[in-house]
Amino acid sequence: MRNQSNDVILRMENIVKCYGNLIANDNVSLHLNRGEILAVIGENGAGKTTLMKVLYGLEHPDNGDIYLNEKKIQIHNAAQAIANGIGMVQQHFMLFDPFTVTENIVYGKEPKKGLFFDLKSANQTISELSRKFDLPLNPTAKIQGMPVGLRQRVEILKVLYQNADIIVFDEPTAVLTPQEVHELLNTMKRLAEAGKSIIIVTHKLNEVMEVADRAMVMRLGKHVADRNIADTSIEELSFLMVGRHLIETEIPKIAPGKDILRINNLCLTREGSVPVLDHISIHVDAGEIVGIAGVSGNGQSDLVQCIFGLQKADSGQILVNGKDVFNRTVKEVRNSGMAMIPEDRFIWGSAAQASVAETAIMGHYEKPSFSRKGFLNVRTIREFAGKLIKEFSVKADSIAQKTSSLSGGNAQKLIVAREIRQNTPILMACEPTRGIDIGAIQFVHDRLVEKRSEGAAVLLVSSELSEILKLSDRIYVIYEGKINGEFKRGNVSEEELGLLMVGSKKL
Amino acid sequence: MNINANYLAVVFNSTIRMMTPILFVGLGSALCNRVFIFNIGLEGTMLTGAFAAIVANYYTGSIFISLLAAMISAMIVSWIAGIFMVKFKGAMLVVGVSINMLISGLTTFLMQIIFGVKGAYVSTDLVPLHKTDVSMLKQWPILQTMFGSLTYLDFFAFILAIILYFFLFRTVTGFRMRSVGINKIAAQSLGINADRLQIGTVAFSGLLSGIGGCLLTMGGVTMFAQNITAGRGYIAMAAATLGAAHPLGVVAGSAFFGFAQSMANMLQNSSISSQLTMALPYLATILALAIYNFSQIRRHAQ
Repeated sequence: MRNQSNDVILRMENIVKCYGNLIANDNVSLHLNRGEILAVIGENGAGKTTLMKVLYGLEHPDNGDIYLNEKKIQIHNAAQAIANGIGMVQQHFMLFDPFTVTENIVYGKEPKKGLFFDLKSANQTISELSRKFDLPLNPTAKIQGMPVGLRQRVEILKVLYQNADIIVFDEPTAVLTPQEVHELLNTMKRLAEAGKSIIIVTHKLNEVMEVADRAMVMRLGKHVADRNIADTSIEELSFLMVGRHLIETEIPKIAPGKDILRINNLCLTREGSVPVLDHISIHVDAGEIVGIAGVSGNGQSDLVQCIFGLQKADSGQILVNGKDVFNRTVKEVRNSGMAMIPEDRFIWGSAAQASVAETAIMGHYEKPSFSRKGFLNVRTIREFAGKLIKEFSVKADSIAQKTSSLSGGNAQKLIVAREIRQNTPILMACEPTRGIDIGAIQFVHDRLVEKRSEGAAVLLVSSELSEILKLSDRIYVIYEGKINGEFKRGNVSEEELGLLMVGSKKL
Repeated sequence: MNINANYLAVVFNSTIRMMTPILFVGLGSALCNRVFIFNIGLEGTMLTGAFAAIVANYYTGSIFISLLAAMISAMIVSWIAGIFMVKFKGAMLVVGVSINMLISGLTTFLMQIIFGVKGAYVSTDLVPLHKTDVSMLKQWPILQTMFGSLTYLDFFAFILAIILYFFLFRTVTGFRMRSVGINKIAAQSLGINADRLQIGTVAFSGLLSGIGGCLLTMGGVTMFAQNITAGRGYIAMAAATLGAAHPLGVVAGSAFFGFAQSMANMLQNSSISSQLTMALPYLATILALAIYNFSQIRRHAQ
């Protein structure tokens, strides 16, 4: 345990923030001790991010005060937050891809030599800083093409360069690989030891248990509880967060039917690299969830895109009920009886500017119930969208609201709802629970199992091993575009899968 | 038509005179591109400058005041356009086209009111831009032809390109400008007033286009004709695109279009019909942009 003093560095008192009718923060108070790691936890839409935006000057509270070192301060914009020693590592990185590491870090506080930007001394400052905090980085490397973990390191150094005493991490592990998560948590501990005070906003409770000193729980815009990590458990925190006990999904045993989706020797190569997909042969039967486990970047995205017609493969067969849909268009593939929950809800799954109702029929708008002779049947669409958000408890003010204004979890629920309710015999679910909170995860899992128990074939691609292990009736491991192992439920451990995922031979 | 050294020198000289108005506007366009503003209004602000120069000259007889009027008027028009585009988030294309149509109509109208003429106004009372003295080159007649009858502004255009190069890539302000074009949200989250930077850039690009307009009316022949810019603002945008929004690249892009324009002028004396030769710069624009975009698409595909 770190020797954290009990002097309070930051207090936020009675913060109120409303968006229209929605009260995002309802009299929320927060205090942070020097050298402490405070986890702010809660489900999506609980108001954590809003509270942090208020602290960082990106939102202006309707009421409430902020005290730094017991002195009242005003924060109207990010520049003032930075000037007050408050730094934020945002969930969506704020980086300039074509610029170098140094240029990104010194941004806004650039050293000058006469009229000119003194890049040389900047590079030197950054390499010293990176050594001091043991965060190795090449100052002159460009951000372009950097892995996510390194990008985040740039963000952290940026905050340190700005001399922040308080560092806010907003959902920092959502996009990281397990190794990167481990490294990040260690970095946080080191920073706290160096006297920085840290707030981590998250809903991943095992990370909270590992790294935090104290947890502040938010639910529906209210601050509902405070717990010292030493005196609490994951179960208690999750109960406080969700407001109810989560019941583990029961997965009923059913015998799989005939194979609905069968892929034979699918190959894809790209110029100047190893084969992306190397003779992939898999099958998914009716009433079966088949998981594809792999470290991301080993071909699973390409596999799904080739199956779905988003990418053209080189050779192979993709049989849907015996009919070959190899290299057909997305529309033809969809019409053959396939639905897909894409891996990125805003890049593939929806259009940010479209309304909730529009998102609810995207990809299906040509079906006779939604349109006739090119004209949309607005009433049916509205009814359908209304039904979906009710049935899948999507938190939305109205079906006319922009998809981008939904929280991540709610947007994901909407997309899941859309793809499941098309009642296709095949569903491909890619990272169906990425970046959403435990309540929503549970919900999505239940729907997938339900779909499978109704006799559909579900292909699940996920970088969360626990998810694969929990849901899949059968598991394929993919490594460098090849299938590196196949297991039935219960015949493999997480450790064994982990080893196969990084390329070790069959056990 | 015999092609000899002297002929090439004439072509070179004419290319320079044709390219520099485009270069000024092109540099402005490049700066706008760098802050992610598609400023199609440069055609209109260039026309503003051209007209203001003539009017100021008519009343004061001072070329200095003429240039100043061109710069300031074009900057103000552009600044207003910038406010509409950035602060009120107007569609850039719509704002730009509105500016162009407004200025085109307004200058035609004001020309009739002020000068009492339709179509074109020419007067010997107007004071043109000073020409540089090339008498020290008299031992080398070829050089004299190449650099003769150019104004100070023609030379300044090239110097400006170099200054802007250092500004964009070596100064902090230039660095921040480029950053806003790459990721405005990130720049704002780091406490930069991105809106102000964008509006300022648009206003400055207007100022540059004003210089270009002034050079057009007060450079070679001192005259103003209805819509005298004749699409040079658009061509300058094309030059900026071809030059990848790099100040020195814009010089190359402008030179290409200046050359096309000067060839068009030269060929007017030949047997090719003038309708065809006058279309040459525009055909060159379309061709160049098509080739450029095609190569970009291919590069992306790889």
